[in-house]
Amino acid sequence: MEDQNEISKRVLTIKKTFNVPRKTVWEAWTDPEHLIQWWAPKGMKITIVQHEFKVGGRWKYTMPMPDGSEFISEGVYTEIVIPEKIVTSANFRPMTEGVTLHVLFEEIGGKTNFTFSVIHPTEEYCRQQEKMGFYNGWGSAFDRLEKILSFITG
Amino acid sequence: MTAETRRDVFQAIADPTRRKIIDLISHQSMNLKAIADSFNISRPAISQQIKILHECGLVEIKREGRETFCSIQPQELKKIADWAERYSRLWEERIDMFETYVNKLHGKKNKKHGRSK
Repeated sequence: MEDQNEISKRVLTIKKTFNVPRKTVWEAWTDPEHLIQWWAPKGMKITIVQHEFKVGGRWKYTMPMPDGSEFISEGVYTEIVIPEKIVTSANFRPMTEGVTLHVLFEEIGGKTNFTFSVIHPTEEYCRQQEKMGFYNGWGSAFDRLEKILSFITG
Repeated sequence: MTAETRRDVFQAIADPTRRKIIDLISHQSMNLKAIADSFNISRPAISQQIKILHECGLVEIKREGRETFCSIQPQELKKIADWAERYSRLWEERIDMFETYVNKLHGKKNKKHGRSK
């Protein structure tokens, strides 16, 4: 078990309440047909390359960038509790690698409390990456990231 | 390699020693000797790192008599925070789009099942 306090330092959490039954929210999040409708930023298009919705299953979405490169989102599902919880590893290349996504769906009287968290790698992992020269690659990577981010967020 | 010559805030934080120097002088400006004393690295090596930080625009160097004072340039450091903020905004926007879509889907379903009275 990981220490909650330790985790909270490296988590980005977004909470929402939808005035919609959980079944529909779950469906919108997990069905690839729905997924392609909302995952990509406005004006962008994603292709679902892989969508094995099961524990140990892989998912991979690609998005063509204006410079001809591809923005790749991918991961492996590590926990699926229908229709309550999804945990998956995730890489967003070239932006951030080795994060974990936690998605929680809680139904309360026909509404859905939705909690989305991105958990960044542990400090230990960062140190390890540092030793491997990960940070040295930062400089050049940032140029591309900057372009991608400014394009996506407008 | 161009990565060696680029000089910006992200290059500045790409090295662990430079990050430590930033930590040290972010509280107060310090002279070069005091900074070097905090490390187990030779003073010329520290000078070299400070020179890079200066070239990255992150550190201001002032000479007063024999002493060299280094102080942080916080506006440059803010670029990192801005970048990180934009990254979290990306997620917020994605979840907003998800919300819009969920509401739309819900509306469609209600219509289909003829729940409107």
